Amino acid sequence: MTNAIHDMGGMHGFGAMPRQDNEPVFNADWERTVFGLMMAGMGTLQVNLDFVRSQMEATPPAEYVKLSYYQLWLHTLEKMAVDKGAVSAEDLAALAQGRDVALDKTADPIPPDALAGVMAAGADAARPLEAPARFKVGDRVRAKTDSPATHTRLPRYVRGHAGEIIRDAGGQIYPDTNAVTGDEGPERLYSVRFTARELWGDEANAKDTVIVDLWEPYLEAAE
Amino acid sequence: MPHDHDHDHTEPPSDLTLRVKALETALTRKGYVDPEAIDAVVDIFENQVGPRNGAKVVAKAWSDPAFKERLLEDASAACAELGFAGLQGEQLKAVENTKDVHNMVVCTLCSCYPWPVLGLPPSWYKSHAYRSRSVIEPRAVLQEFGIEVPDGKEVRVWDSTAELRYLVLPERPEGTEGLSEDELADLVTRDSMIGTGVAQAS
Repeated sequence: MTNAIHDMGGMHGFGAMPRQDNEPVFNADWERTVFGLMMAGMGTLQVNLDFVRSQMEATPPAEYVKLSYYQLWLHTLEKMAVDKGAVSAEDLAALAQGRDVALDKTADPIPPDALAGVMAAGADAARPLEAPARFKVGDRVRAKTDSPATHTRLPRYVRGHAGEIIRDAGGQIYPDTNAVTGDEGPERLYSVRFTARELWGDEANAKDTVIVDLWEPYLEAAE
Repeated sequence: MPHDHDHDHTEPPSDLTLRVKALETALTRKGYVDPEAIDAVVDIFENQVGPRNGAKVVAKAWSDPAFKERLLEDASAACAELGFAGLQGEQLKAVENTKDVHNMVVCTLCSCYPWPVLGLPPSWYKSHAYRSRSVIEPRAVLQEFGIEVPDGKEVRVWDSTAELRYLVLPERPEGTEGLSEDELADLVTRDSMIGTGVAQAS
């Protein structure tokens, strides 16, 4: 989803930084399990990273802001497990209430060593691209004002604003299609520098800048 | 399904724990996850990978100009020289703090973070406050971390909207000329590599 609550850049009202000294990696056992379920389950549920993000963003705004980070992961995992047919909502609810249900094995999990191998090897989003670059470093570009109802990684706070290309990062999986159909694209990615004054007005510090990574279809040439 | 609305992470209500247990049981018995695989990935981030990795990278960059050059050119390749690579670190970029520029890193849309060099992000990095404020009032955010950036120095905020991940190379503290790489690494805090801190002088 595009114009949703996850797109928080530039919002006011969320308060002071919640700093915590000597914070553990996980704050509770259930957070460990949720993190592990996501890492271990994405492959067998056949969901890609962009799809997962699109599902998180589809959480109703009033609910999203009340969820902690791993609560949002849990909410999203439950939804995906049901939507992908891994388990029914009724069975999940029954188990959470302490009732047992019949659950037959229908998939093959990724073994520990194989999963550790995936974590170590990574999953590079860079892709070869035949199409020539439309823009080059130094070009002035403007972020489009499109508001697709489906997933995008073009934040609202840069839409309609002009910046300068500072890096051509080559072909990359295009999240807007990958999230919806699994079509990776790819499209060219650029790092675009915006001045703080362009984004936030004359009260912003004249020196400050924000750099945002934007795919070619998000951009048009600026005069 | 009911949702917990309490932001206190230390004492989750029982329904939250039960929901997680239910999901784990279901996905395990249906064959979608192996519980030992969950333990394996948790172990990676609790015991093997964390900001100490990034600190070693920074200390080496401070000590070895040729390595620093390679780091700024291709951070993923340079970090891999030290054995740091993997998921969420496939396309790393190191951004260097100087007397003229202070870099800081955010992901306004979710909470993207360079896992192989910093581990999993702290709660504040994932907070709505940091995600919303860091691009519009980075100096106010930095003040809350005790960092005062002079008006004439650029604050450069990197919003990780794609699959590029950013590591801040903090300025080397003065008076550290004689220190070994190990000693230097002790001065490199996690926050200094996100850009909400500076390397400690001692």
